[in-house]
Amino acid sequence: MAQGDGTRADSETALQRRDPYAINWRLVAAVVVLQAVLLVVSPPLVVFALIEVMIFALYASALNLLLSFSGMVSFGHAVYFGLGAYGLALSITHFDFPIVLGIIAGPLVSAFFGLVYGILCVQLTAIYAAMLTLACAEVTYAVVFQWFDVTGGDSGISGHVPTMLGLAPHQFGLVVLCVVTVAILMLWRVVYSPLGLTIRAVGQNPARAAALGHGRKSVQLIAFVISAFFSGVAGTLFGIFHGNVFPDYVGVLFTVDGLLMVVLGGLYSFGAGIYGAIVYKLLDNLAAHYFQYWQLVVGVIIVIVVIVSPSGIAGLVRRVVERIGRRL
Amino acid sequence: MTAGAISQPALRVRGLHKQFGRFVALDSVDLTVDEGEIRAIIGPNGAGKTTLINVLSGQIVADRGSVEVAGRRLRRQHPHQVAKLGVGRTYQISSTLRRMTVFDNMLCAHNAVSGHWFSLRAGRLRTMEDTVLADLKTIELDGLADRVVDDISHGDRKRLEFGMVLATRPKVLLLDEPTAGMGLRERHELIDLVLAVTRERGLTLVFVEHDIDVVFKAAESITVMALGGVFAEGRPDEIAANSAVQDIYLGGNG
Ligand SMILES: Nc1ncnc2c1ncn2[C@@H]1O[C@H](COP(=O)(O)OP(=O)(O)O)[C@@H](O)[C@H]1O
Ligand SMILES: [Mg+2]
Repeated sequence: MAQGDGTRADSETALQRRDPYAINWRLVAAVVVLQAVLLVVSPPLVVFALIEVMIFALYASALNLLLSFSGMVSFGHAVYFGLGAYGLALSITHFDFPIVLGIIAGPLVSAFFGLVYGILCVQLTAIYAAMLTLACAEVTYAVVFQWFDVTGGDSGISGHVPTMLGLAPHQFGLVVLCVVTVAILMLWRVVYSPLGLTIRAVGQNPARAAALGHGRKSVQLIAFVISAFFSGVAGTLFGIFHGNVFPDYVGVLFTVDGLLMVVLGGLYSFGAGIYGAIVYKLLDNLAAHYFQYWQLVVGVIIVIVVIVSPSGIAGLVRRVVERIGRRL
Repeated sequence: MTAGAISQPALRVRGLHKQFGRFVALDSVDLTVDEGEIRAIIGPNGAGKTTLINVLSGQIVADRGSVEVAGRRLRRQHPHQVAKLGVGRTYQISSTLRRMTVFDNMLCAHNAVSGHWFSLRAGRLRTMEDTVLADLKTIELDGLADRVVDDISHGDRKRLEFGMVLATRPKVLLLDEPTAGMGLRERHELIDLVLAVTRERGLTLVFVEHDIDVVFKAAESITVMALGGVFAEGRPDEIAANSAVQDIYLGGNG
């Protein structure tokens, strides 16, 4: 009896098995079109907010590759965000790169530091590895802050690139939309490729992954470098958006922003960074507008969301979609 | 039994010693398992059975002694390197990827040995689908393919873990209490499956087991461990007739 059921279920799964990890192009197109329309019709202040949301959605998604899938925690991810912006600035001011090359250099500088720091961090596991990411970040911040001749210290670097490349806000917004969309789709491809399956296996259960033949260190290092690279893409965009770079960009506040977005968005879900960035930045803007102690308000809201839905906004969205699906 | 004079034993362990602090977990253990042999390891809790499996799979480095897999001496290899030598293991507490589906767990196992684990081409995963489904059928979990492992029964998880190890095409299977915590029927079904696959593929099987019925049904030879050492070794009938073994272990079973 059970045997019969099993066979029937199997032939059905075999027939109906559609790839759950294929990119949903219709959804992507809908979101991109909607966002493009918003960018074109909104007043500049809203466009600025939208641009910031997109950049942070990419940054948080890159961080999410580590937190949700690779089994690592980074308490210093702003380093890879900020070094993108510094890579852009320094390659132009110190090496006379043309702007286009500077833009390419930004993420590569992040990836390089991801490789160097990553090699150190994967030697340890769990909280020890996390503390080492923090230590690497502190060292980087100190160097960036104090090496005045090169980095300009706390007055940063500006004027190396025209703010928003000299484009109108909505035009620059469309550029950011393209870059961020492509980058997030690439992250999707990473997570749901053979490499991503390996990363997720190591992240979920290093002992089992090892028994299957995967070495933890090399796999986690690859994930770390990829995450650093895409954080660097976000940071480079941020540097162009503001036309400057400050030590804050590699500082602890940007790190915390990223972590909060992922947790708010919902760990173990690909969309965590996107949902988290949207809601966090929305809260941030609204609360700052209406409340004196806005950071407290944002903090309380995050605590409530995480308690009500430990799987974050992604979990809420999933449940709502399932419920609607059942009604239809 | 099929091992000729020329072929190396699948596993050869000599003088293995391991201490945790001052506690001696393995005390000069010698063990030789021939190719194609089915060997049970029994012994009371704390005898050092899991520690022995951990040393054989590279999880723990012994203080002294040598381990040879198919004539190759292990030198502080990491677990994933030992796995690549053809040694597959399961854990006393089943070790799977709990947030993934049963299907994806099996896919992971195939991916690991595909030679393309670093590929970015999602299409490569799709080409493995048929093999994955066939493997799930072999371990009779095809009906649960789309269930998340967290939601399946303990017994099914043990079964899945065994299936994943099989998918990596090991030559030597090390199963640490493969039927622990299972019901009587489930237990015999799983061990029948293990035996069928082992014989069909000519694998070498070393398994730790507490259920004496299962041990005597499956094993061609038995190693009895106690206090970190090998206490007795022999064919099932020899072990059954050994009064010292009965005293320390089989006694309770009458
Ligand atoms: N990592 C460890 N650290 C300290 N003691 C350990 C460790 N692993 C096992 N032991 C001890 O070694 C002894 C043998 O354990 P184990 O090999 O798990 O026994 P068995 O599997 O035969 O029940 C036990 O007393 C256990 O407490
Ligand atoms: Mg044990």
